[in-house]
Amino acid sequence: MILYTPLSETDIFPQSADEFSNRQCISCDGKMMIADRNTDGTYQVVQLLSTDPQDFLDQRYLPGSVLN
Amino acid sequence: MKKEQEEKKDDQSNPSSLVQKIQSLGQTNVPQAPDSNIHVLSIIGQVEGHVQLPPQNKTTKYEHIIPQLIAIEQNPKIEGVVILLNTVGGDVEAGLALAEMISSLSKPTVSIVLGGGHSIGVPIAVSTDYSFIVPTATMTIHPVRLTGLVIGVPQTFEYLDKMQERVMQFVINHSNIKEEKFKDLMFAKGNLTRDIGTNVVGADAVEYGMINEVGGVSEAMAKLNELIDSTKNAESQVIQ
Repeated sequence: MILYTPLSETDIFPQSADEFSNRQCISCDGKMMIADRNTDGTYQVVQLLSTDPQDFLDQRYLPGSVLN
Repeated sequence: MKKEQEEKKDDQSNPSSLVQKIQSLGQTNVPQAPDSNIHVLSIIGQVEGHVQLPPQNKTTKYEHIIPQLIAIEQNPKIEGVVILLNTVGGDVEAGLALAEMISSLSKPTVSIVLGGGHSIGVPIAVSTDYSFIVPTATMTIHPVRLTGLVIGVPQTFEYLDKMQERVMQFVINHSNIKEEKFKDLMFAKGNLTRDIGTNVVGADAVEYGMINEVGGVSEAMAKLNELIDSTKNAESQVIQ
């Protein structure tokens, strides 16, 4: 199927609520972050919530990195 | 022997994390730097209020920001704060709460409006000690409105009017813009299609007195360091 439309994808295919059901706000090493819980129990970082600019350079908390 | 095994294990796990990093970020290493005395607070997406927005929206939640501001105020190692704004606006009361929190911090604060600082982003931008706007950023000033179920009584309109007055007074008290000018911009016709209000671009915001200066990161950091130095000097004078 090919769609050619100015509408956004979510307007045509509404996203289901449970798509984000595994997204949680967690605390790791005293740093708050929004992370997706994987099926194996690990967390994948989505967004780091910190005011310290150095935290964003920490490789462990880069968006997409997996936490145990 | 055991140690060796552990080392081997580490070696094995490292390449996989490296591969993971390359897959998710397209890069492997990020340089490390010493602790910073300046902290950064970004207000991005919508300012979320009492109603939780659907998860596909990018939001700034006040329950995340307010504790961070308290932590900044309490931590003696933090000497200054940069507020980065790229917001479309959002909940009036949540936005005003953030603006009041920022304006009542004892530490020097500087804001940079990047991209957009619309609606309730305006009071947040002016709440700092000194504000910057990048030349391409815009700020939309328009009257307060309400979505959802509204009780159709005159009191509702009075309530809205008071809410608008609070936003307006905050901006006037925390920036150099005159009340007349701000009202003119807010109720101007013909600037926004089929709507009232004005979309103020970078240099114009400075000209109207809403924002202090046109500039980006380097200007903001220079100003913040200057403010930090002047507060330090003031403190040392008191001790003498």
